[in-house]
Amino acid sequence: MNIQVGNNHGTMAARGDGSDEGGGGSLSVGPSRSMKERACYLVWQDLRVMLPSSGDGPTKRLLNGLNGFAEPGRIMAIMGPSGSGKSTLLDALAGRLAKNVVMSGNILLNGEKKNLSYGAVAYVTQEDVLLGTLTVRETITYSAHLRLPSTLTKEEIEDTIEGTIMEMGLEDCADRMIGNWHLRGISGGEKKRLSIALEILVRPRLLFLDEPTSGLDSASAFFVAHALKSVARDGRTVISSIHQPSSEVFALFDDLFLLSGGETVYFGETKEAIEFFAESGFPCPIKRNPSDHFLRCINSDFDIVTTTLKGSSRIYEEQEQSDPFMNLATAEIKARLVEKYRWSKQAAKARSKIKQLSAIRGSEISIPTSASQAGWSKQLTTLTRRSFVNMSRDMGYYWLRIIIYLVVSICVGTIFYDVGTSYTAILARGACGGFITGFMTFMSIGSFPSFIEDMKIFTRERLNGYYGVGVFILANFLSSFPFLVAVSFVTGTIAWNMVKFNHGFLRYVFYCLNLFGSIAVIESCMMIVASLVPNFLMGLVIGAGVLGVMMMTSGFFRQLPDLPKPFWRYPVSYLNYGSWAIQGGYKNDLLNLVFDGLAPGDPKITGEEVITKLYRLPLSHSKWWDLFAIYMLLVSYRTIFFLILKLKERAMPFFQSLYTRRTIHRLKRRASFVKFPSSRRYQTLRSLSSQEGLSSPIP
Amino acid sequence: MEIEESKGPVASNGMIIGGGLSPLSESIWKEKSNDVGDVSAKLAWKDLTVMVTLSNGETQNVLEGLTGYAEPGSFTALMGPSGSGKSTLLDALSSRLATNAFLSGNVFLNGRKTKLSFGTAAYVTQDDNLIGTLTVRETISYSARLRLPDKMAWRDKRALVESTIIEMGLQDCADTVIGNWHLRGISGGEKRRVSIALEILMRPRLLFLDEPTSGLDSASAFFVTQTLRGLSRDGRTVIASIHQPSSEVFELFDRLYLLSGGKTVYFGLASEAYEFFAQAGFPCPALRNPSDHFLRCINSDFDKVKATLKGSMKLRFESNDDPLEKVTTAEAIRALTDYYCTSQYYYAANQKVEEMAKVKGTVLDSGGSQASFFMQTLMLTKRSFVNMSRDFGYYWLRLVIYVLVTVCIGTIYLNVGTGYNSILARGACASFVFGFVTFMSIGGFPSFVEDMKVFQRERLNGHYGVTAFVISNTISAMPFLILITFISGTICYFMVRLHPGFMHYLFFVLCLYASVTVVESLMMAIASVVPNFLMGIIIGAGIQGIFMLVSGYFRLPNDIPKPVWRYPMSYISFHFWALQGQYQNDLKGLMFDNQTPDLPQIPGEYVLEYVFQITVTRSKWINLSVIFSMIIIYRIIFFLMIKINEDLTPWVRGYLARKRMKQKNGGQNMTVAPYGLTQSPSLRTYVADSKK
Repeated sequence: MNIQVGNNHGTMAARGDGSDEGGGGSLSVGPSRSMKERACYLVWQDLRVMLPSSGDGPTKRLLNGLNGFAEPGRIMAIMGPSGSGKSTLLDALAGRLAKNVVMSGNILLNGEKKNLSYGAVAYVTQEDVLLGTLTVRETITYSAHLRLPSTLTKEEIEDTIEGTIMEMGLEDCADRMIGNWHLRGISGGEKKRLSIALEILVRPRLLFLDEPTSGLDSASAFFVAHALKSVARDGRTVISSIHQPSSEVFALFDDLFLLSGGETVYFGETKEAIEFFAESGFPCPIKRNPSDHFLRCINSDFDIVTTTLKGSSRIYEEQEQSDPFMNLATAEIKARLVEKYRWSKQAAKARSKIKQLSAIRGSEISIPTSASQAGWSKQLTTLTRRSFVNMSRDMGYYWLRIIIYLVVSICVGTIFYDVGTSYTAILARGACGGFITGFMTFMSIGSFPSFIEDMKIFTRERLNGYYGVGVFILANFLSSFPFLVAVSFVTGTIAWNMVKFNHGFLRYVFYCLNLFGSIAVIESCMMIVASLVPNFLMGLVIGAGVLGVMMMTSGFFRQLPDLPKPFWRYPVSYLNYGSWAIQGGYKNDLLNLVFDGLAPGDPKITGEEVITKLYRLPLSHSKWWDLFAIYMLLVSYRTIFFLILKLKERAMPFFQSLYTRRTIHRLKRRASFVKFPSSRRYQTLRSLSSQEGLSSPIP
Repeated sequence: MEIEESKGPVASNGMIIGGGLSPLSESIWKEKSNDVGDVSAKLAWKDLTVMVTLSNGETQNVLEGLTGYAEPGSFTALMGPSGSGKSTLLDALSSRLATNAFLSGNVFLNGRKTKLSFGTAAYVTQDDNLIGTLTVRETISYSARLRLPDKMAWRDKRALVESTIIEMGLQDCADTVIGNWHLRGISGGEKRRVSIALEILMRPRLLFLDEPTSGLDSASAFFVTQTLRGLSRDGRTVIASIHQPSSEVFELFDRLYLLSGGKTVYFGLASEAYEFFAQAGFPCPALRNPSDHFLRCINSDFDKVKATLKGSMKLRFESNDDPLEKVTTAEAIRALTDYYCTSQYYYAANQKVEEMAKVKGTVLDSGGSQASFFMQTLMLTKRSFVNMSRDFGYYWLRLVIYVLVTVCIGTIYLNVGTGYNSILARGACASFVFGFVTFMSIGGFPSFVEDMKVFQRERLNGHYGVTAFVISNTISAMPFLILITFISGTICYFMVRLHPGFMHYLFFVLCLYASVTVVESLMMAIASVVPNFLMGIIIGAGIQGIFMLVSGYFRLPNDIPKPVWRYPMSYISFHFWALQGQYQNDLKGLMFDNQTPDLPQIPGEYVLEYVFQITVTRSKWINLSVIFSMIIIYRIIFFLMIKINEDLTPWVRGYLARKRMKQKNGGQNMTVAPYGLTQSPSLRTYVADSKK
């Protein structure tokens, strides 16, 4: 302990006189000016987490009475075979447990009970959710502007950013793009370090990481672990779950929490773990990685492997000389170890330490309620700018669509080229309008993957409390505005001039505004769908279905008066942007035109007649009202989007607490619950390179 | 001396196994070679160099002068940091090199420079492309029936399947489905073992595996490796590239081939590598996984990491037990490769390879599947049918959507009648049904892509032919498409009350069926070309959008501009033919009210000719048959696309690579190009060494 504190001070001093152009020195200028006082001691006592099954099935115990603590300046590894509860422990400590589990026990932060959710602590998830089109420096910069207090000067922010880049060793790739499905970017290890950099930007005292090295090759994993160690040496408390570390990585951890089946197998210093296993009768062979050895001892999957191997194939009589455990079931080993640990000196030490740490009172630390300290206008401008940069660099977001729109509108333009005023042109003009509002807006589906990416980023950042829902929606709309204008004016201009619609500048403007409104509405509609369904494929199908219904009730395929009144006519066709767009478009185009009759001698037909008699639309309101209706729909769709996001956020915790109370109530009535093997959370560990991109639609 | 000793156990093992082929293996191999006694595969390679041409014409040696061998009964692991050439060596040995890579040096199989045909060497790739809806047993038994000879009794085949399941330790999950996006199935390790099981089904004597343990947790990785070792003990030659093995896994290797930057760092018994490193001056510290240590020594990425750490972070290496603290890995690699070239291991390997090259053994040939074409088609159809009926996303989801959409259409056009307004309404209804309803077939695209993945894996391993695949796919989809179109067609027809009469009903439904099948075939053809899901959907939607535009509904047929849109396009568009047929089918023989009751009624023929501009002289059945012939045409295109992808593309790529390199080397001394450049090894025809 003393040594640790000393080390901590030494670190501070070393950082103080760091000669590197102010990078190291200015680090502490950030939001947390005083570092020493804000040390974080985390203690957990008798932590239990249960997964109540629906109905009367057995309740799963995910964690079973864990005790432990974490100190500043040290880095703790939570290890265990898959399904042992590593991630559950991490989630429980970080206050991020899934909604369907119940937790009991104490988690004390500097002796006080604290709710650690929403941005109070930094949590680096296993998946790196990053905007692929930004460079490393940009990502950090935007994040800094979003979250650092507005009171800081530009230089201070700049220094924090550069300092963080240095700290995570990202200088070499600072100006490279992160990369997405069509851009080749930085490596998996660099991505992981960037994710960590984003979290340590606001100098949190407590850092959680979920399997930061999985999917990385050994050199990158080593680098990441080293970076974490240096974060810890700055007086921060780092807790990380880790899966099968290599020898070098394992050696970097100070403390080890070894779990199996939700029970503590070992908790204490990493170095003493080898001793502990030796004393318990399971010494680590000399040519073995200790962490491999520990996991081998407690991973009950090996029992299954052994029995299957013995039972199935002919057993090869060769000696498994290196493996002393072939004859002993891991379940047995584990039970022995758990029992041994309970009476070990490490456990005794931990107990006294926990007692001591939980007695800390009146520490002056205040965990901020929200991670972001920036004003909302700053958040809005930063977010808008970031989103705009992303959209302008992402090929698939708008550029691809602009190209497609261009191609399709040229196709439409040539097919309806110079449509004229003959008798058949009446229907052709209508069809052209219908096709553009219908099919062209349909193409908005193409940006669905980008929406989903955006939603992922939003969910992560929102979970960390970077900004509010309103800011996000507004920023999204503002940043997409220029692109939508470009899309609609390009399409509008080409189609309008090639088809030679009714001339007049105001009509041209109306035409483009109409198109813009329609595309913007569709876009909002797709965003709503994207926020409701997490799955890309489902979103695509549902989005297409919604668009199909809209197209059908827009008055083009079936005239409005003919639509069945009860459902299709009354709410649906009025809520449909298409019907307003088509009405407005017809009025804009056909009024004041005169068409030939069916036969050469027949009287001429006026545009008014066409609208009232052929299309049977009322002329009682002007086309501008139709346009106004579209824009009203746009506003209301955005509002619905806002409400949905808010509702998801607000209603969920409410239901969750209700559920927890009910389950605890139910559990009290039940005498005991059955121990049940817990589910595996991470079945396969895929390399990061195969995770990124959209090559497979199936998540 | 030591060499002899080291060879001892392996050789004796080989002896035992040579006679002790498992009875089932025997039953397969007996048919191929009469002397069952020696069907083992002895693989040796000498001075293997692989050169890759980059896009700018530069060449790069990915592998440099590798020499090594793999014996029956032993399990050889290829190890090295990422980018060291593990996979390339594996590809070179199994003759799967990309066509822009050139190989020189010798690969001997049983002392002969023969080409490796598919049956002799099995290759398990890194990703498991399996059909998620089948159970483990079904997967294996379909594969067995696809490939085993027809005349083999079903009882024998089943015995073979069961023994494979037991051999791979899959008994416990034999009746569990493999799992896909909506079905929870077997674990990753089990999937990997199924993939291996599929390859060892034909009892190959030589087995290649690309990173069989990556992505698996330690227990599964241990299991997989243990099984591989077991397979090798059965007299097979097993070569696997392995990335970062855990301590337990590492102990299971017989031989170790350690690569770095395309050069041999060590080749010999895995258990002696520990000593080798110690002798070379890099002893493995205690309590460390030897393989971690080896990789740590030869992974040059560590140099970069260390440089960055030193430069940026205040480096605090507290413990200095690291022997590599003073030496960079680049130096370590050099020292190790130099040391290896003078070591006894190197001489032993060379000597052994010479020996193996001299002894001419059996020619192991076995050309992929031995089942007849008919059998393949039958089995594929059956398998594909089972898959489609179990996969919710393949057709059932679409059936639900179709029913929903047609109910919507039905209610909107409910009882359309023969009023004046219904003339246009009937036209719009037909256009909507054939336009947008068929559009929904795009929903099946992800399943196609999955299917194509499985096909590609099996095709590469020579399980069946392209023709069998295309035919079986067509047949197996038929019942579902008929079901979908008949249900939705019936709903639509009777709710809207289109032209009454059974033949009219039949025509409508058949026309819908044909259109949906055309879209399906079109999407399959696209899926075979476009690998990316999103691109596929966008291209598919674009093509259909254009087809719809020229179908004669949005713009009347006679008004469509002649040059491009009318002449080829509208005749290519299946929507055009469908609408021509359906308008005739629906309107002919009906009488419509005029605008006002006092005017005479309008006959349907008049509407057809003057309002919709339909050619009434052509029978509607001709229109229908045109759509049906389109199905066949698209299927042929699909077939050709696969063929082109398979044969033409690699050839072109190889040709370009050669040309680029010649240009680069033009004028300069031509000896730079190694011998054998005249022929680039392609996927299917591979000659280990062409004339010097």
